[in-house]
Amino acid sequence: MNETANNPADPFSRFWMDMMSRMTSAAMPAAAPTAGPLGASPLGEEYLRTMRQAFFDAWAKYCDEYLGSEPFLEIMRKSMENALAFKRQVNEFLAKSVHEAQMPSREDTDSIMLVLRSMEERVLDRLEKLSQRVEALEARGAGGPSTAATAAARSQPPAPDATRGGKRPGKGGAR
Amino acid sequence: MTPSALPWMPWLPAPADAQAMWDGFLRRLAHLPKVADVARKVRVGATPKEVVHRIDKLRLLHYLNDETPRFETPLLVVFALVNRPYILDLRPGKSVVSHFIQGGFNTYNLDWGVPSDGDRFLDMNDYINGYLDDMVDEVRQRCGVEQINLLGYCMGGSMSAMYTALHPHKVRNLIMLAAPVDWSSKDYLLGKWVDPGVFDVDQLIEVYGNAPADLLQGSFLMLKPVSTLVEKYFSFYENMENEKFLEDFFAMETWLNDNIPVAGEMFRQFVKYCMQQNRLIKGTLRIGGKPVNLRNVTCPVLNLTAQQDHLVPCGLSTPFNDAVGSADRTAINFPAGHIGLAVGSKANRDLWPRAVAWLAERSKPLTERTIDQPGRRA
Repeated sequence: MNETANNPADPFSRFWMDMMSRMTSAAMPAAAPTAGPLGASPLGEEYLRTMRQAFFDAWAKYCDEYLGSEPFLEIMRKSMENALAFKRQVNEFLAKSVHEAQMPSREDTDSIMLVLRSMEERVLDRLEKLSQRVEALEARGAGGPSTAATAAARSQPPAPDATRGGKRPGKGGAR
Repeated sequence: MTPSALPWMPWLPAPADAQAMWDGFLRRLAHLPKVADVARKVRVGATPKEVVHRIDKLRLLHYLNDETPRFETPLLVVFALVNRPYILDLRPGKSVVSHFIQGGFNTYNLDWGVPSDGDRFLDMNDYINGYLDDMVDEVRQRCGVEQINLLGYCMGGSMSAMYTALHPHKVRNLIMLAAPVDWSSKDYLLGKWVDPGVFDVDQLIEVYGNAPADLLQGSFLMLKPVSTLVEKYFSFYENMENEKFLEDFFAMETWLNDNIPVAGEMFRQFVKYCMQQNRLIKGTLRIGGKPVNLRNVTCPVLNLTAQQDHLVPCGLSTPFNDAVGSADRTAINFPAGHIGLAVGSKANRDLWPRAVAWLAERSKPLTERTIDQPGRRA
């Protein structure tokens, strides 16, 4: 835990101190009438822009420091926990409401999706095994070394066959 | 220049300066209708394109070009899942895609589409071994080639690296653009925010289904709050009378606010396995039951990183070149930010011509046998 965590007000006081010192130093060249920042007129728009940039730089630096600090991370964790708990309650309430009206909720559609995906996985696995068996049989029928033929076939660009249109995600790999 | 009216408060503008500022304000105010007109007419996407293939919500975009490509191997651009891919072809003069087209490459872009609630169970295997592999096969088939070039940006780069490791025989050259592969460092803001002790991705996905676009958008904005929420609008105010600036500004804003949700399971796996457990670089990541071994990446690799990248610091990308099995590895660390790498004037002037030249050196020129007119199936 760094010093920032010990005194929550410290980052803010340091921020204002640093900002003031940066702005003052940005203002210093303008005090001398001949030496405006960026060669601009000493009290003109460029001068104000330089001061503004100094302010933004200080602000950005301390924002960066604060957003990565332990207190902020803790606040973020807790607020996300609370937001998720609230959202979960809302979800449960809505699910109950639609169930009362004898309508399907998102939970129900999710469970159907899971069943479908599980079926898809089983079908794809079975297809994969079947295709391996067909390849092996073809290689045996051709009488050639199966591995070379299979490897050669795999390295070719896919043929524009009818099966391509129906390919689904996760077509090739076992899950 | 008249001095300040109050000498002890030198930062106060002199009356003449205050008058000039007020005049400037009124002038800009009068310019508002023009600003609204530019905002209304802003168009994103510089290069004409056509959709040549669709799978579910994905679209494969082919960029049209009057000239015949000079190289046999096409280029497929793979963008992240969190934003739309037109950032790589945002506006004339700010288009990565146009560099490759002018360089003689047949160029494709993969639009992942917008996942709905029903897509929440799509996982890494679906995206990488399913969708991406399908799109790569489609490009190979259209161009009649065995291998393609891949360019992956940000998360799309990580996914391209995983794909190349799993299907090395289909990739001729790999370009990684600000793509994280090693999340061991926690010295950057996003790394601290996704720490398992802070961010419970399982709970988020369980409750929301997909990773909400608003959450992602808010997180990205908060990474540089002063720049994205304050400074940007000062700059806008100062340049309200500059039409070119306005066009670029609104095009960029259109893209920045065009966030999309990420399929829940994919997001969960990416955050958990990659960002939190750092499995990709460790070699312990498995997709579709198969290990993802970066040593299998043996094709030439170009790793582009941005020196001022707050989202993907260089340290997350550079270890890739040491992890791959390729002997031909190039790294360019360019002085730009994460988005500036794609749309910055300097990057478009200095970086992308180099990247195109790098790819051209490693690509096979088109012979008379293989003429792949845009949009024509080989």
